Amino acid sequence: MDLHSAPVIGDIGPRPDGLDVPFWAGLAEGRLLLQRCGACATWIWGPQWVCPRCRTLEPGWDEVPLRGTVYSWTRTWQPFVPSFKEHLPYVTLLIELPDAGGRRILGLLIDDDGTTDPVIGEDVAGVIQPASDVTSGVPVLRWTRGRTATEGDA
Amino acid sequence: MIDRPLRGVVVAGIGETGYYKRATAPQGAMGLCVRAVLAACADAGLDPVDVDGFVSYGDDDNEGPDLATAIGARECRWSSVVWGGGGGGVAGALAQAAAAILSGQAEHVVVLRGHAEAAGGRLMSAVSDYYMSAHYRAHGIISPAQLCALRTRRMIDADGVPAVTMRAVAQASYTHAANNPGAVGRDVILDDETYAASRMIAEPYRLYDCSRENDGAAALLVTSAERAAALGADAVHVIAVAQSTPAGWGQTIENEDDYTSGGFRLVAERLWRATGRGPDDVDVTQVYENFTGAAVASLIDHGLATAATAGDVIRLDNLLADGGALPINTAGGNVGEGFVHGIGLALEAVRQVRGTSVNQVPGAELSLLISGPAAPFVSSALLAQAEA
Repeated sequence: MDLHSAPVIGDIGPRPDGLDVPFWAGLAEGRLLLQRCGACATWIWGPQWVCPRCRTLEPGWDEVPLRGTVYSWTRTWQPFVPSFKEHLPYVTLLIELPDAGGRRILGLLIDDDGTTDPVIGEDVAGVIQPASDVTSGVPVLRWTRGRTATEGDA
Repeated sequence: MIDRPLRGVVVAGIGETGYYKRATAPQGAMGLCVRAVLAACADAGLDPVDVDGFVSYGDDDNEGPDLATAIGARECRWSSVVWGGGGGGVAGALAQAAAAILSGQAEHVVVLRGHAEAAGGRLMSAVSDYYMSAHYRAHGIISPAQLCALRTRRMIDADGVPAVTMRAVAQASYTHAANNPGAVGRDVILDDETYAASRMIAEPYRLYDCSRENDGAAALLVTSAERAAALGADAVHVIAVAQSTPAGWGQTIENEDDYTSGGFRLVAERLWRATGRGPDDVDVTQVYENFTGAAVASLIDHGLATAATAGDVIRLDNLLADGGALPINTAGGNVGEGFVHGIGLALEAVRQVRGTSVNQVPGAELSLLISGPAAPFVSSALLAQAEA
């Protein structure tokens, strides 16, 4: 799997109710945006309609650098869906974002060699996969090992 | 019962269809549920016309009013469902039944769960549809196995819980299933080699770490202790139920606080505080193993082990009805007996108190039922021979 062949499952993109539209719009601009309360500065993820800490309605969004550490991971071997069948096994990371108050996001590790296990606390760097047919026409944030991502290595 | 036990509520009858390989049941889900309800009534000595309430949980679409019509009940006066996908509400459904009875809304309430894949789709799909937004599916995550695998991986690597505890849970379930003629997995001999050779599903889970999916239905008839006595039923007291979505839990896209837990810490605290009992008083435990690692987390949440002692406590010989100090899943559990979102565990929790399990724990008096872990809403119950 490389940055341009990594698939998704089904149709992805903004929720019908619009709550996470800025997240997807951010990826289209090459940026990771997560919710951050404009009143109390709390990072919020998954997205919420109200800040769970100070109850401010419609918390804002803020940019997060594309770097994180491995919080947990799983390597999937079971062919759960056709789109991933030719990419088995693959590693999905749960990534802790030190620049977003330790909030966590999921992401596919695109430079997994199939045998080298990720280590909790390991540095990873994000890179945005352009929208294509395999991503249901939506840009997706992917991850590589190390502090900086270079698309050519991916 | 925030700080006091439930009093006067019992399970008076249990009934089930048995488990079928998925998509092979001879009836649809409603047909299965009706059979389970009638069997529970017969077990309680209750005329089905007197059933006046129904409770289910998770994704069940067999609705109370329809069931009441189907069995010819005089009047349905209570119909409710515990929100939250999967099996987090198995024990919580008993709380809703108790609420109906103690508040005078209904007298004879059936708790049930039924499923038939041919018409109802995969059980896994019901859970996936509930949880798996684009923020999961963009990254290859579609199965509950993958989500629980992430939690278990960190429980092993960050909390230091030995991975071999997962095998012990699976082996305990299959060892017990071997004595259960109704267990779908009764012929599986899960020795260490078979486990090690089984294929990976989502690391660290192998095939045998994962629950089955089956067709079937099961029901518990809940009523007051007085009514049960009048019926002459073999009644088991529900002495405590606790349900919980703690702060920082629920639909957070893997941002739960206390991520490696099953979500039960407040549930367990409340069970013990309400009853004055503790983990050492539990004689037998039914713990929902959607995946073995998640069940290990649940046992730790309830104080039956700690991360530090898990390797010593969660050992196969210690988990068996025959001589173990922490017997679990004595009918075979979700992995060995069969799986319809864990309802079978509730029936086995009752059998142990009655003394009628195929793997009876001698003298079992206090029976712990732990529902689906890592669900947005989780629940547990204590069942006993006598009121608390």
